[in-house]
Amino acid sequence: MMNKDEYIEKLSKLLKKLPKGEREDILWDYEEHFMIGLEKGRSEEEISKALGNPKTLAKQIKTEYMVKIAEDKQSASSMFEAILSAAGLGIFNLVFVAVPALILIALLITFFVLAGVMVFGGIYITLAAIIQPLIPLHNFNIMMGDGLLNIFGGILVGIGLTILGLALLAGMYYLTRWLYGLAIKYLKLNLEIIKGRK
Amino acid sequence: MNTQFKKGVLELCVLVLLDRKDCYGYEMVDEISKTISISEGTIYPLLKRLKKENMVISYLKESQDGPPRKYYKITVIGKDRKKNLVEEWDQFSMGVNNLIHEKINNSGDINDE
Repeated sequence: MMNKDEYIEKLSKLLKKLPKGEREDILWDYEEHFMIGLEKGRSEEEISKALGNPKTLAKQIKTEYMVKIAEDKQSASSMFEAILSAAGLGIFNLVFVAVPALILIALLITFFVLAGVMVFGGIYITLAAIIQPLIPLHNFNIMMGDGLLNIFGGILVGIGLTILGLALLAGMYYLTRWLYGLAIKYLKLNLEIIKGRK
Repeated sequence: MNTQFKKGVLELCVLVLLDRKDCYGYEMVDEISKTISISEGTIYPLLKRLKKENMVISYLKESQDGPPRKYYKITVIGKDRKKNLVEEWDQFSMGVNNLIHEKINNSGDINDE
């Protein structure tokens, strides 16, 4: 047989692991229960007996509390899930975006190299066309005759090639900038999606 | 009776009582104890959970004798839950009753033969 103070103290001890606020909130209900019971003419011992074993009660209270914690954790796990799905999005990106992106980058580099070769090749051909007749002994490995027409032709082809290379270079520059902007936009969109899933 | 079973029924009883009028904890315990024996203390963790699940809200109200009491009021969510629980209970108890009566009839039939 326990009186009110004994009962409350025992329950308080059993609920030691709960946060202070939570515990006090619970104990307040039982104190009120005792108070009203006393007003109704019951004895403290009678009330504590009717309330039930504090151990059973504490177990129930703790279980309810753990369920609440688990539910809170569920939101954390849903965040984890969000991160996972974000990683999934990464894998998706890897396959459907990164591969085409890599191919695109490879193509861009190829065209840059090609443009570079065209510019320097054009300069080389132009110079070769000019220099070859001047230094006939030297072989520039260019299939051209010594004729004046061939020299002018060589110069023209060389200059044309250089100009074309420069044009390609300029075009590639704008194309790269445009693609870069597109990639940034896409990344931002991804971030929005990931943020939105929080 | 099984404690788990009783706990479920207790939730139903509390929601039914609160659907009639706002009550304080002791009042509900008093009412329920009239018909079924319960550990009176179990109602408070239950009320706490119902509150957390937004099925009830609590407020303090002055009493004629003594300090203000914590009253509970059922919410729309609580009313929905009560409706479902009552339906479930009716179905369940009817099923159990049918089973019991069938059994008696069957054993009666066998005895008659």
